Amino acid sequence: MVNLEEIKKEAKNILEEGKVKYIIGYAKSSNALMAAPTFVKKPEDIDKLIWDPTCFQNLVKFLLDEKRKKAREKEPDIRPVGIFVKGCDSRAINVLLQEKFITREDVYIIGLSCEDLGVLDEKKIFKKLKGEEPEKIEFDQRKNIVISTKEKTIKIPLKEILAERCLECTSSFPVISDVFWGDRNNRSPKEPFKSLEQIESLSQEKKWDFWQQQLSKCIRCYACRSVCPMCYCDECVVDSINLAITADTTAEEKSQKIKWIEKSPESSENFGYHLVRAMHLAGRCIDCSECERVCPVDIPLRLLNKKLEKVAKELFDYKAGLDPEQPSLVSSFKDEDPEDFIR
Amino acid sequence: MEKILTKKSFPAWVKNLQSYTVYAPEKQENLWSYEVIQNPDKINLEYLNTVLAPKKITYPQREIFLQFNTSKEGKPQIKEVLPEEQPAVIFGVRPCDAKAITLTDKVFGEEPKDPYYWSRRNQTILVGLTCNPPPSPNCFCLSVGGSPHSKEGLDILMTDMGDKYHIDSLTKKGEKLIKAAENLFKPASPKDKKELEKIQRESEKKIKREIKDIKNIPDKLKDMFESPFWDEEAMSCIRCGICTYLCPTCYCFDITDELTSTLPLKGKRVRTWDTCQFPDFTMHSSGHNPRPDKASRLRQRILHKFQYHVENYQDYLCTGCGRCISLCPMGIDIIEILNKVRDYE
Repeated sequence: MVNLEEIKKEAKNILEEGKVKYIIGYAKSSNALMAAPTFVKKPEDIDKLIWDPTCFQNLVKFLLDEKRKKAREKEPDIRPVGIFVKGCDSRAINVLLQEKFITREDVYIIGLSCEDLGVLDEKKIFKKLKGEEPEKIEFDQRKNIVISTKEKTIKIPLKEILAERCLECTSSFPVISDVFWGDRNNRSPKEPFKSLEQIESLSQEKKWDFWQQQLSKCIRCYACRSVCPMCYCDECVVDSINLAITADTTAEEKSQKIKWIEKSPESSENFGYHLVRAMHLAGRCIDCSECERVCPVDIPLRLLNKKLEKVAKELFDYKAGLDPEQPSLVSSFKDEDPEDFIR
Repeated sequence: MEKILTKKSFPAWVKNLQSYTVYAPEKQENLWSYEVIQNPDKINLEYLNTVLAPKKITYPQREIFLQFNTSKEGKPQIKEVLPEEQPAVIFGVRPCDAKAITLTDKVFGEEPKDPYYWSRRNQTILVGLTCNPPPSPNCFCLSVGGSPHSKEGLDILMTDMGDKYHIDSLTKKGEKLIKAAENLFKPASPKDKKELEKIQRESEKKIKREIKDIKNIPDKLKDMFESPFWDEEAMSCIRCGICTYLCPTCYCFDITDELTSTLPLKGKRVRTWDTCQFPDFTMHSSGHNPRPDKASRLRQRILHKFQYHVENYQDYLCTGCGRCISLCPMGIDIIEILNKVRDYE
């Protein structure tokens, strides 16, 4: 069992000893169903920390900010940052280590197993509430969630409202950590790619229609990119921020700055953006499905990444983020590869 | 002009508005969105907040300013594209979203007036609906000078009274809509008016969230520009565009040329929404960025809404719809931020 009091004790210790700069964890937010990231700097603030199935966010994203901040400072504090990670989040850390974006010394990993649960899916809960607003929630023995609305109190078994990714999760515990709470039981879901079944059964035309309709909703707020711990490019394909112009920059050079994807939320541009993103996540996405959770217009983005995960698994027996030492999928090949072009 | 319309007759009224493009909230999968209505019988006015405000109609995310191409002789040809003027009615406009449109009206109404915005805006009729109950738990219109039954910016305000609507026609445009099917409406009786007042009083009591002493905040913000407060508050921001794109009052835009061909040169000049939350929003061509981090961008969002706009237009650039709170992936809450600003020492 994950014991919050023990975690707080550890958090207090490492802050008091100065072992970490600060701790990225979860606290309550004004939304009863969702925790918010919190950044604890002082030992006296540890009581804000919480741990329950409302802790959706993949906090690893904030390690990217930390890296950039450190790069800007003249004499940066080089102590590690403490961070709460779930199973999926820990795989994100492994990918960042594998890609040498961060080093092991940058993080102090507080590993928390989801055990037999995971995180909630707010949309599933809203369906059950039928339009009523949750005012207070409680967890009953890790079995049920008890939600009080203005009108009534309802009890829902947690298994019915867990996020899809948690139902298909094969390793619900952190695979890398400095301290660890909870069990390390591997899960073997019967159908780890069940969510793909429906879309895979469609004809090519129907698939195209489906994505045409879904991606036409995109408003290009880039929340999917902004929340993704794997999206750390200084210049994203949709941005144009790195063309530094000097007195010597010619008009021609300026005009030749390639714009791959226009700003307009038109279907072709939206496809460009989302497919480039999906391809860049092949063999890297660790299925935290934050992109899908944060999308304000409900585009089922996880399907794109999950499909690529399945292809990587089936063709190369590759799963992202299990080991920071493993060669990355797209920058390695095996001698027994049946394709000739690779040699 | 106050009238009564039975709920049964509502679709008949909309059917009489054939010369207009009619928009109303429509549930698409799990989300509410303003869409063009083909079948008036299917309009459902018991809706929660739409993801995008009706701003998406009066000020669309993308519009074409002009088209350009070069002829064989190399002569450039430029053709201005103004929106095709088509009268439109939007049903089910929340009072906060209507107020928001009056705010963008002022900005795009400054000389020189924005012809793209106004050719569309002049043709749009806003039919509001009293919020009873509030469409979101994060509604806070009362704190920013609005109310769930505010008439500001609306041409008609409808109020749900059980099996009928109270219809308050507020402008000439509104009158015109009622005249399109005058026989469907009955005059409101003194009893109806009493009932209406009661509903409106109740609707105010249902708004749960509040920014106390908001009038002190603009002055307070003036002294907080350099404060480390913003670094703290922005720590959990991931710099996406949700808060601003979903905001009914945010109006910043970018203008870009989209080429369809380079030889011969062909393309369009378009305006698209832009947001202060994106890193390239303030990027200078030199590579210098005066708002280099997310703290300065969060500060810009708050200061624009609660200091600069107050200085320039004597009004908050926020109407309390709560969208930025409900949909922030990280739980950043503008009410909590402003309450902290007020108490900041």
